[in-house]
Amino acid sequence: MTSPFDQVLIQSDVEQLEQADLSLLETLDHVLNRGLVIAGEITIAVADIDLIFLGLNVLLSSVETANEVLRKRE
Amino acid sequence: MSELAFYVYCIAERATAAELPAESLPPAIEDDSKLEWVVSGELAALSSQVPLASYSEESLAEHLSDASWTAARAMRHETIAEYVAKRAGIVPLRFGTIFLERDGIERMLSDKGRELREILERLRGREEWGVNVFCDQNILMSSITSVSPVLRELVEGAAQASPGQSYLMQKKIDALKVDEARLALNRIIEDIQKSLSDRSDDAKRLRVLKVEATEHGELKAKFAFLIQQSDFDRFRDAAEKLAQEHQRAGVRLELTGPWPAYNFTQIS
Repeated sequence: MTSPFDQVLIQSDVEQLEQADLSLLETLDHVLNRGLVIAGEITIAVADIDLIFLGLNVLLSSVETANEVLRKRE
Repeated sequence: MSELAFYVYCIAERATAAELPAESLPPAIEDDSKLEWVVSGELAALSSQVPLASYSEESLAEHLSDASWTAARAMRHETIAEYVAKRAGIVPLRFGTIFLERDGIERMLSDKGRELREILERLRGREEWGVNVFCDQNILMSSITSVSPVLRELVEGAAQASPGQSYLMQKKIDALKVDEARLALNRIIEDIQKSLSDRSDDAKRLRVLKVEATEHGELKAKFAFLIQQSDFDRFRDAAEKLAQEHQRAGVRLELTGPWPAYNFTQIS
């Protein structure tokens, strides 16, 4: 996994793939749950975040998909 | 051509738009569109056009339940925000801030200009770092008699007591273990929060989603810290020290970042 993030793992005993999973989930949590909310002209309710995350867990069970999504951030 | 809307990623100072021309930035959220800076007064919003058909309220709600659609686009959003945040101060916006026209973005920049400049000023020279606290329940339970002061005392007492008393004390120890483990973990989490808050400019405890239980222990707490770049080494040393200190209780710390300051964009 190549990421522009310097992700630092203290006491790192985590497998490579797990890092990728974590970093993807972390990222999505930031982008989808946080950040300044400015009411644009279209209001979108990103309400069911838990559902999205459940879906992502399924998605992440496939190594290839996870890597593919992560590659896009380079 | 189908109808278009404007997706906004982040807001920066006007000077940033000149320093980082849109052509030099990572790809926009949709492949067939380009990033552009929309400038108004002293501020600039980074945006790109998106098909209204996919980003209208109804279709977005539908798309968002498609994890791979959402993941790919959220990553695009993040990559752009990270790229700019590494080079200049930004206010990162939440996924899905959409305007129907360029004018709408300009109006927003001027209406909210004072607050936006205030946030940019507060974030200047600072980065967000995340700290995740994991706990391996098995390790915690097996070490709890030495981690908890209450249990430690009981164990010492039991060792000196008569066999009958000792038996009763052992029963009490077993009954207390689960509660004490919970209390010990809470104390550790509070200690981590306090120690690291002291070494940062701002701190937030974040919600832990149920699905974040992983094979390497359960995620018990999640924090975001706003840290001056020059203070980061001190912060990291403190986090490492805490990690070592609490290791025997089965606690692991994970440090992630630097992030655009997503958790510190509230208008004071």
